[in-house]
Amino acid sequence: MRLAIINGSPRRKKSNSKILTDHFLKGYYQGCTDEVPVRYLAGQKRTEEALSLFEQAETVIIIFPLYTDSMPGMVKEFFEEISKPGIIRPRRIGFIVQSGFPEAIHSVFVERYLAKLVKRLKREYLGTVIKGGVEGIQIMPPGMTRKLFNHFEELGRYFAGHGEFSPEIMKALRKPYTLSGRRRMMFNLLKHTGLTNYYWNTHLKKNGAWEKRFDRPYEMAGIE
Amino acid sequence: MNITILNGDMSDTASDFSAYIQRLAKKLREKHRVNLFLLNQMNIQHCSGCWNCWWKTPGECQTNDDAEQVLRAVINADFVIFASPLMAGFISSRLKRMTDRFVALLHPYIEMRNGESHHMKRYAHYPDFGVILSKEADTDEEDLEIIRDIYDRFGINFHAQQKYLKCIENSKVEEVVHETCDY
Repeated sequence: MRLAIINGSPRRKKSNSKILTDHFLKGYYQGCTDEVPVRYLAGQKRTEEALSLFEQAETVIIIFPLYTDSMPGMVKEFFEEISKPGIIRPRRIGFIVQSGFPEAIHSVFVERYLAKLVKRLKREYLGTVIKGGVEGIQIMPPGMTRKLFNHFEELGRYFAGHGEFSPEIMKALRKPYTLSGRRRMMFNLLKHTGLTNYYWNTHLKKNGAWEKRFDRPYEMAGIE
Repeated sequence: MNITILNGDMSDTASDFSAYIQRLAKKLREKHRVNLFLLNQMNIQHCSGCWNCWWKTPGECQTNDDAEQVLRAVINADFVIFASPLMAGFISSRLKRMTDRFVALLHPYIEMRNGESHHMKRYAHYPDFGVILSKEADTDEEDLEIIRDIYDRFGINFHAQQKYLKCIENSKVEEVVHETCDY
């Protein structure tokens, strides 16, 4: 088995990580007919399945959403497993980190950890693809996601042909690294209209939770 | 002061790390109220990413486990200590699993802070924090720098500040007590 993908999103098949993986594979299969197995870390006994796949593949890509500034707990659990003695490891390991924040800067700190992890495992590091602004892609109109999905298809196609992530597409996906002054100004103008939180407000209203949106249920008054 | 300690030690048996944290808690209790959680002995589930705590029951996680008592102790604390032996070069998955659940303490709305987008506060006050680790055989300065930087980023999102990062191998309990209480 040449390539395998491990999806570390707690949302499993409903995850944005799966959508991005699907587009990556769509491109990949245009250049390579080898089947690429995908396993999920969420769910019972899933870690064992993913570990088994990890031990059989020549190259593994691990994709996950950014959770509190690094990897989700279940991905960290997996990292602990693959660090144990006696584990057979793929020759090459790469990562895709996606986040809801629009800027890539949020994910570059965990990237340093991922590079060090692979170095510690004495394997070849393929790099980390970083993409922000992914939350909401499931409800966005096709026009808003076309460029993103095209990039991931291209990323997969390039990977099939070269066995690595395209540096050019990685660079494009990292944009914006931080928000431009113009975009920040637009945000500050639009925040008064409620448009900047449209996604959250839509769900709050749909769930009848709008009035409670500023609740502080865990606050204990009078603690000394 | 109210101090909450989250111990992410995953050892099956009594470890030097947890013994250190116990000594620290005992010393802090001489003058302060301390909540110490040994996360490995609690039922803490993974954050499922359902966002119910943001858009269905705002601020309240619907997962039925022990995380709620930890979240209450964290958000009502004056100071939080994240404690964990290093595993695969980072804090333990137990501590990370609990930290993922902190999402319920924030508001989904985004605001601009220091030119970056971050989540807004849900609560009026968020506790500053310290990090206590124990090293692995191959831990180096780069590992500690990576963790320090990730916790600094966490601090920005958590509306709080990392006050110290210490390793038990070269930090006396008294030193940690001093920096926790007199920063």
